[in-house]
Amino acid sequence: MNNIDLPLTVYVVDDEAPARHRIRELLGDCNAQLALELVGEASNGREALDQLATLHADVVLVDIRMPEMDGLELAQHLNKLERPPVIVFTTAYDNYAIQAFELHAIDYLLKPIRLGRLFEALTRARSAVPVKSEVLQELIPEARKNLSIQERGKILLIPVESVLYLRAELKYITVRTVEREYLVEEPLGSLEKEFANRFVRIHRNCLVAKEEIESFEKAGVEGADLHWTVKLRGLEERLPISRRQQFIVKEFKKH
Amino acid sequence: MPKVQSINQNLLPDALPNFRNLGATLRIVLLVNGIAMLAALLQANSFQDGIQRFVDGSAFLQPVLLSNLLLLYILNDLLLRLPYWHGFAAVLFIVGLVSLAIYQLMGDLYGPAMANVSFHVWRTFILSSSLAALLLVYFKLRAMSLSTALHDARLQALQARIRPHFLFNSINAVLSIVRADPKRAESALEDMADLFRMAMADSHELVPLRREIELSRQYLSLEKLRLGERLRENWQIDEAVNEALVPPLMLQPLLENAVYHGIEPLAEGGKIDVTLLRTGNELHMEVRNPCHSQQGEHNGNKMALENIRERLALQFDVEAKYTVESGNDFYRVHIQLPFIKEEANE
Repeated sequence: MNNIDLPLTVYVVDDEAPARHRIRELLGDCNAQLALELVGEASNGREALDQLATLHADVVLVDIRMPEMDGLELAQHLNKLERPPVIVFTTAYDNYAIQAFELHAIDYLLKPIRLGRLFEALTRARSAVPVKSEVLQELIPEARKNLSIQERGKILLIPVESVLYLRAELKYITVRTVEREYLVEEPLGSLEKEFANRFVRIHRNCLVAKEEIESFEKAGVEGADLHWTVKLRGLEERLPISRRQQFIVKEFKKH
Repeated sequence: MPKVQSINQNLLPDALPNFRNLGATLRIVLLVNGIAMLAALLQANSFQDGIQRFVDGSAFLQPVLLSNLLLLYILNDLLLRLPYWHGFAAVLFIVGLVSLAIYQLMGDLYGPAMANVSFHVWRTFILSSSLAALLLVYFKLRAMSLSTALHDARLQALQARIRPHFLFNSINAVLSIVRADPKRAESALEDMADLFRMAMADSHELVPLRREIELSRQYLSLEKLRLGERLRENWQIDEAVNEALVPPLMLQPLLENAVYHGIEPLAEGGKIDVTLLRTGNELHMEVRNPCHSQQGEHNGNKMALENIRERLALQFDVEAKYTVESGNDFYRVHIQLPFIKEEANE
């Protein structure tokens, strides 16, 4: 990772100002024995993503419970950075997450944070590798609120609520919103599982947002291969439903 | 603090039921009539006959029942002051006498005078006192089972997941100001001590609402330490509630719930509205907080609220109401309970 002579750069994300203040004090205390530099702090995930796009940090201390975007989701988005930071989670109390961290040997700090534990975590971070996104995904009890992609060095967030469909194309998944398309690199199967509440599979390679379905239409040449298609709100495009998924037409008409 | 004695229906297993509680009265009326119906059925030779017998019996039973309830209502405070077994005996005696008196006064209505007067007198006395004894045993058993529930409830409230979250976050917040503002850290720790002392107190007794309000304010000031501007509060307190007595730890858990589920998930925070007012013989407590539209119910949340609901049911039976209204962007808990004045038992 970094040259050992350079100070370790640290970034703090926590929605509570006193908690950030406390970490600042402790980092100050660590500084005597470990060269480090606090490069910034944020009170929410979005702010952190914006800043960290241009600012490199070796270690990011992330609070798990935060409004709007929790720490586990933020960690996944941070992983899309070109040089992903090592993430150390902080939490006051979260049995579920802690068990999972133990299981996957992910570093975490319990609040109130002890100086000794923080020191250890930062020392370890020098040689640690970022936790894989797939592992983080397993940890998350809830679905993410955003998908993220890296575009020109920045992390773009795509709110899941705005996604109309997801379609697998060769190596990538096309993420379609009303405005535009994005390409993400995640298996369609795991997206289907994570966002089962929002999307329904209409084809081997395609998931559409249930709420955005406007109508079903028959398409194809008369007499030949007639099949159903889906029309989504705000899109002209008609998406074909595969033979095996035809039953969803009936299911939707029931509602 | 004035010495406060509980006058609740079922707080202690070794207490007579509160004869002024609507729930207790209803239970007595229903049980007595139920038993009368069974007795009528036992003697009957057809359903028609059974009903007839019950109606006939009612002419005697209902006046007796109502007079007894009235007398017990009046004597309630006196009876509750007696040691349990004395009170128990007193109730049996009162019930027996009242029944006898009515039988004697209106005896002619209930059948032709018979030779065997002493048998009828004794029968009336024995039957009515035994029935009263049966009911008192029922109330005692009910109170016993409920007092375990009450005990469990307190433990549960303490262990609800929401508490450790508050405890550790608060300690963390206090630590963050120790160096910069030691005075404020001191008072924060004192507030915390008060809160946890209250939570761990093994008290079944009613406490002045003033004290609960003070405790809740201490709690909110602790939360403000870490949430800062995000947490705003608005209290509307009716003058008349100052002398009210309430079960301990009703208000503060509601606020904790509002902070955890309402304020914390909102980046910009929000305002908690607390309304305390009295209308007639009722005390109303209402806590309203904004909330995120797609908030999932939290385990700790359910436990804390469930606990309050249970304790209200145990202590006030049908005289307390607990309602929750959850709108698109707000959440409101409303508690209505009997207004009990502080000096009620002095």
